[in-house]
Amino acid sequence: MFFRMLSAVGLAATMLLSGNTAMAHHSFAMFDVDNRMTITGVVRDFQWTNPHVLIWVNVEEEGEVEPVTWAVEMTSVGNLRREGWNRETLEPGDNVEVLINPLRNGGPGGGFYAIKFLDEDREFMMPRVAAPDE
Amino acid sequence: MSFRKIANLALGASLAFMVLGLSPAFAQVTRPEVQSAPPTGSGPAPEEWGALAELPDWTGIWVNDWIDQNRQRDLNDVPWNAETAAEVERQIEFSNQGRPSGAHNTCIPWGMPGFMMHTHNAVEFLFTPGRITVLGELDGNNLRRIYTDGRPHPDRLDIDPTLHGHSIGHWEGDALVVDTVYIKPQSEIALSEGVGIANGGDMHIVERVHLLSPNILAFDMEIEAPHILTETYKTRRMFFRRGWGPEWDIVESICLEGNFVDQIDEDGYAIFVPVHPDDQ
Repeated sequence: MFFRMLSAVGLAATMLLSGNTAMAHHSFAMFDVDNRMTITGVVRDFQWTNPHVLIWVNVEEEGEVEPVTWAVEMTSVGNLRREGWNRETLEPGDNVEVLINPLRNGGPGGGFYAIKFLDEDREFMMPRVAAPDE
Repeated sequence: MSFRKIANLALGASLAFMVLGLSPAFAQVTRPEVQSAPPTGSGPAPEEWGALAELPDWTGIWVNDWIDQNRQRDLNDVPWNAETAAEVERQIEFSNQGRPSGAHNTCIPWGMPGFMMHTHNAVEFLFTPGRITVLGELDGNNLRRIYTDGRPHPDRLDIDPTLHGHSIGHWEGDALVVDTVYIKPQSEIALSEGVGIANGGDMHIVERVHLLSPNILAFDMEIEAPHILTETYKTRRMFFRRGWGPEWDIVESICLEGNFVDQIDEDGYAIFVPVHPDDQ
């Protein structure tokens, strides 16, 4: 069990930190849901795939010559479609501000919470996850 | 030369040998005479289809109540046995460090009871005579078949355990009561996507599924797992209806897609290529 766990964690962490355009990550437990932080940058890629859609955001960081690519993990394609999103909702070059639950390991990534489209004065929060009061 | 071209050449050579009678092994094979038996049983009668209209309305697309999932996890302790409790604590510690464990990291389907307890995706319920089918975006578009035709569970050697087990159901008023056994020992009781314990075998799950209100469906679950629990674990999961029609439809959801990237190969074909840590 321990080896399996290390393998899975190692692969997922490698994907997240490598700036790859795909990742083998399937658990939201990697994100610190008790904390939120904001990143501001330019969309590098919008990866419209299951099980989780990803926004890759290039962020200018102090002390870094090149922008740092952050991986923001969203929910599934189906959940986002039901909220009105599609594979062209975000495009490379879009300026965005993204509220995330940061990775617990401190790497440049996080779980999606909300996004502000800076060029369009538009916002979107994560899909509703609780039953409405009736 | 690409793999595809090599494979085509090999296939061509094999066919040539067969056509020219150059394969003594194939030449000696004689197709046995097999008489197919006619199909047995019969399809549902029109009145059986009509009777479905009398059942509670579970149509449309349903999504789990994620907040309530967390509430159950935090307020309704699982009665782990002592050995398992120690492992759970260890996994919680790992998970809090950003190192999740449990089957959810592998893309192997949750199976039962995780299928109903931990999904973050949509499901739908199809009623047909003698059966209810639960279809989901969850679990890599996996499904559950719940037989409502009065059959019992099969004898032990007439069925192989599966991740979702064998489910039979019957209606008690407006509640569907589902009994599930023959679940693989690897199926986990999980606290989250980062903490899950394999049941070890002999798990038995009873669900009472009923509408709390027109658009909220409750799964009241009783889980017996004698290898990891000291007593029956009772918990509830809730799904709420999002709507009907094209804008809510279930879509394909393949978990393993996240392990591949899209590429065009040297022959111009669109292919999936496994993600490798060295690809950057």
